[in-house]
Amino acid sequence: MREMIISELSQALHELVRGFAHFLPRLIVMLILAFVGWVIAYAAKVVLRSLLRFIKFDKLSENAGASQLLTKAALPSATEMLSRFVFWVVWLGFILLGVSVLGILGLQEQIAKFFLFLPRLFVAMFIMFFGLLAASFFSRAALLAAVNANVPSPRVLSLAVRSIIIVFVLSIVFEELGLAEQTMLVAFGIAFGALMFGLAIAFGVGGRGLAQRFLEKRFVRGRKEENEDEPSPL
Amino acid sequence: MKLAEESYLTDDFLRQLINVGEVDILVGLPTHNNAETIGSIVHAIQSGILRGFPRERAVIINVDGGSRDGTPELVTGASIDDARPASNLHALRTLHSISTKYASSPASEVAFRTILAAAELLRAKACVVMSPESANIEPEWLSKLLRPIYRDGFDLVTPTYRRQKLEGLLITNLLYPMTRALYGLRIREAYSQEFGFSGRLGSKFLEQNVWNDGTGETGVELRFTLAAITGRYRICQSFLGEKEHIERRAADLVPALRQTAGALFSALDPDFPVWSAVAGSEPAPSTGPDQEVLLAPARVNRKRLREMFSTGVAELQSVFQSILSPSTLAELQRIAGTGREEEFHYPAELWVRTVYEFAAAYQKSVISRDHIIQALAPLFRGRVFTFLMENRNASADDVENNIEGLCLEFERLKPYLLQMWKSRE
Amino acid sequence: MLWYKDAIIYQVHVRTFHDSNGDGIGDFQGLEEKLDYLRDLGISAIWLMPFFPSPLRDDGYDIADHNAVHSSYGTLEDFRKFLGSAHDRGIRVIIEMVLNHTSDQHLWFQESRSSQDNPRRNWYVWSDTDTRYKGTRIIFLDTETSNWAWDPISKSFYWHRFFSHQPDLNYENPAVREQMWNVMKFWLEMGVDAFRLDAVPYLVEREGTNCENLPETHAVLKELRRKLDEQFPGRMLLAEANQWPADLRPYFGDGDELHMAFHFPLMPRMFMGLKLEDRKPITEIMQQTPEIPSSCQWSLFLRNHDELTLEMVTDVERDYMYDTYAESKTMRLNLGIRRRLAPLLDNDRRRIELMNGMLMSLPGTPIVYYGDEIGMGDNINLGDRNGVRTPMQWDGGWNGGFSTAEPERLYAPVIHDPVYGYPAVNVLSQEGSEHSLLHWMQHIITVRRSTAVFGRGTIEFLYPANHRILAYVRRLGNEAVLVVNNLSSTAQAVELDLRSYKGNILIEMFGKNMFPRVGDLPYLLTVGPYQFYWFRLRRI
Repeated sequence: MREMIISELSQALHELVRGFAHFLPRLIVMLILAFVGWVIAYAAKVVLRSLLRFIKFDKLSENAGASQLLTKAALPSATEMLSRFVFWVVWLGFILLGVSVLGILGLQEQIAKFFLFLPRLFVAMFIMFFGLLAASFFSRAALLAAVNANVPSPRVLSLAVRSIIIVFVLSIVFEELGLAEQTMLVAFGIAFGALMFGLAIAFGVGGRGLAQRFLEKRFVRGRKEENEDEPSPL
Repeated sequence: MKLAEESYLTDDFLRQLINVGEVDILVGLPTHNNAETIGSIVHAIQSGILRGFPRERAVIINVDGGSRDGTPELVTGASIDDARPASNLHALRTLHSISTKYASSPASEVAFRTILAAAELLRAKACVVMSPESANIEPEWLSKLLRPIYRDGFDLVTPTYRRQKLEGLLITNLLYPMTRALYGLRIREAYSQEFGFSGRLGSKFLEQNVWNDGTGETGVELRFTLAAITGRYRICQSFLGEKEHIERRAADLVPALRQTAGALFSALDPDFPVWSAVAGSEPAPSTGPDQEVLLAPARVNRKRLREMFSTGVAELQSVFQSILSPSTLAELQRIAGTGREEEFHYPAELWVRTVYEFAAAYQKSVISRDHIIQALAPLFRGRVFTFLMENRNASADDVENNIEGLCLEFERLKPYLLQMWKSRE
Repeated sequence: MLWYKDAIIYQVHVRTFHDSNGDGIGDFQGLEEKLDYLRDLGISAIWLMPFFPSPLRDDGYDIADHNAVHSSYGTLEDFRKFLGSAHDRGIRVIIEMVLNHTSDQHLWFQESRSSQDNPRRNWYVWSDTDTRYKGTRIIFLDTETSNWAWDPISKSFYWHRFFSHQPDLNYENPAVREQMWNVMKFWLEMGVDAFRLDAVPYLVEREGTNCENLPETHAVLKELRRKLDEQFPGRMLLAEANQWPADLRPYFGDGDELHMAFHFPLMPRMFMGLKLEDRKPITEIMQQTPEIPSSCQWSLFLRNHDELTLEMVTDVERDYMYDTYAESKTMRLNLGIRRRLAPLLDNDRRRIELMNGMLMSLPGTPIVYYGDEIGMGDNINLGDRNGVRTPMQWDGGWNGGFSTAEPERLYAPVIHDPVYGYPAVNVLSQEGSEHSLLHWMQHIITVRRSTAVFGRGTIEFLYPANHRILAYVRRLGNEAVLVVNNLSSTAQAVELDLRSYKGNILIEMFGKNMFPRVGDLPYLLTVGPYQFYWFRLRRI
């Protein structure tokens, strides 16, 4: 009886050790991958940081209005953020690769999904960034044009332009990420449609005169407004 | 240097240039839908050439930006040659008038570049650009612009005019003082519609790399004057006559700002070695009186100017925060807040600081450069208001003295600009 | 008939050409000896300057006897012999007929001035005052101040449009008209082929006019022509009238007045076009040239014995010509420039060829001034217009081969400067050199005579956009010749509108080589400095 227990134990121990010995190389490979991944991620971070500095990425993000957001949240600069983000993503990628080597079945599927998700994440971030940039640019352009054309409430107009563009960008981002895309699409559709409808009514009824003047200025040359007496600048 | 490149001269235009051959004098005439006035303008130009330079080989080159009213045909139809025996001006030689369409909508940069290219190919010794906007061109204007180049060896002749006292304020309150303070030469009309230049200067400018800005509104005429100054070419001014004003609309201010302030600001970076080394200013040689002022009353909506200034300062606060220093912005807000017209005062010193800060912001591109220029418009209107109030009852001499005072203020504060410039590094 | 339409005329003064008897003055025997040279040159008619007895105060145009030959040049018999020899070689002879005035040494004037009752009194135009015909322009501005001169013998004024020693004949007097016809008849019967009628616009005066081109003058000329056609068909009358083309037209009448007239206004404009490098002056004057009757002909020339006259140009044009062609004031005379062809063109062979090319291809009969075929120079230090009337340069030897006399005895010194002097510029050396100007002139005259289109054809100007190119097409029947002249000193490209001649092959007339056929596109030609082309248009 004792011999049976001992032989079973030792067999179980053997199996455990064998299993472990089977597992150990994979673990070592995983650790190596993690280490190599860290090195590569760090290198990527440094390279990316210099690259972003070179193209004055901070300036761009300032224009986009992203910098202001970051400062308010007491976060470091956009360059730094992006570099660190890339570092983590790359390292995580390598770690997950290592984990997949371990051969744990359910995990592999999830890991594969993660890697498939990554490109879409980058694209969404890209769209977000440039969307913010565009919103900032066009809202400022609208502001200046309105001020110079003596249109009432220029800031409201500017904000409206900014909002529309941001909402539009957000809906694209959500669709790209695949998060509640239908909901977002419908919500955007409703909001945008309502806004347009409202503007049309306001423009058509209330802004008739403005529309007329606008069209005249565009297409009919040489009509000077009576109340626009201003000395010729040149 | 690329050798194989798409040329902007059409085959047809090149053929016409071959037929004209070498000339001594070239007159460039950019047009866009000027059929009403172009006939008398071409006639005046031809008279000017035949009277002042009867033995010289000359050509009139019309560069047209897509006219739909037959303007180019009117110009070429006035050509003086033996195929048209009815040409009634008695001329010793053929005087060609040729035309090319350079674009389907006007772009002064491309027009000017075409004229320069033609001048180089035809080896013109003296060239002059005329504007169809000036409906009161006299034949003598040709001589006044060409003689200093053709006979006295100057390279650039800018005009001076008899102006209404309250017109051309962008020139007198911004362009003239700032160009004078920075570049050290007192050229009254650095940006002008009529001017003369030598073939030498034209060729040199053609080589320079100022053509890649893409938009057609970089005020290349101003860049040309600045290039002449920095290149140490001989420049003089010539008094032409009265500057007739086309009816302007308020919407023209921003494009005018682009052509003048925008062009000037964009030139400051490449020209930094030149203007940073200059102190004070020198007068430029002139023929005729320097400038004459007419005291005709003008119809101006002062209230609107003041309102646009105040509105601008209020609404554009976020923009100004990126551009102006806090103290300057605070002062502007204070002025904008004054209730009564008599209290409103945009002093010269503040205006100079405003302009210089804008220039520095432009150089750093704190925001889109075109937006910076647009943001200047309401502030300029405020300055116009103050100028109008100060000179409401002034004599011609007083106006000149006020302008001179403003110029000296620009010169005095030049170190401020230099300081802002250097702090970027 | 109409031989004068195909002629090439050589203008020469017998005094300047060749001296046979060693007295330093050219004569008819000498001229006769050189007829072979002229025949070889290719000319078909000689125009002789006046050789009549004369005090020679206006180079022979002041005639003292109409029916004789000046003793310096030989006898009437010498002239007859010369005339015969010329005709034997197929060369016609044109002589001067000065209708307007005579020398004050003429027998008629001696009689006329002797007293108020003399039968010949009315042969000249007399007046007690000098105020008649006010406003009439003075022609010899450099020497005369009035058209009236005081005669101390008959104590009255006589009218003279030219020098004061050349009193005008009075054509209101039928006796004068009768007598002048008899003079002409004298020479016509001897065999002379044509007359150059000197100074025809001034024959008749009338108060209240400018005394030029009056209808009475035309009537006189028509009468002469009628008699000529009746009694001597085939003979020709050539008018010398320095007028605008429109004023010249009446001298052709309806083909019943004068056969030919000099196209004076064209000549200075050819020089002007060359300097301006612009064809405008030339085409404009041709546009203003009226059509003439089909039996009539223009006479073209580059230079002649007179100054290059600038009467028929505007002040601006005249100033330009003075400044560019005659910087030194001594070169200017009587509103003209007194220089020969070669010095005017800076002795530039290309320009000389171009001007001759235009002379030979524009519509009219060309006249070659003696010496210009070898590129002779001038001597502006000889007074009046004598600078262009120096001895012909035959060889590099004694007196340039003109005369065996002592050099001091010559009527005028031979040109001897290093550039134009007789050792450098003479017939003998040019005959020996294949590419000399003389051979070139012979060649172009040959080409010109190879077709009747130049002398008899119409002209149609092409107006290419390149104003430095003067291009035109000469047509006669089925023949067409395209002439392209580059007036500029630099190479040029030109596109010609030859649509009406589509399908023709161009054959260059000097080398007889083919040029591309005319197609749908404008015809592109490139021309060197001062170069010209004559193309025969041939459709095969």
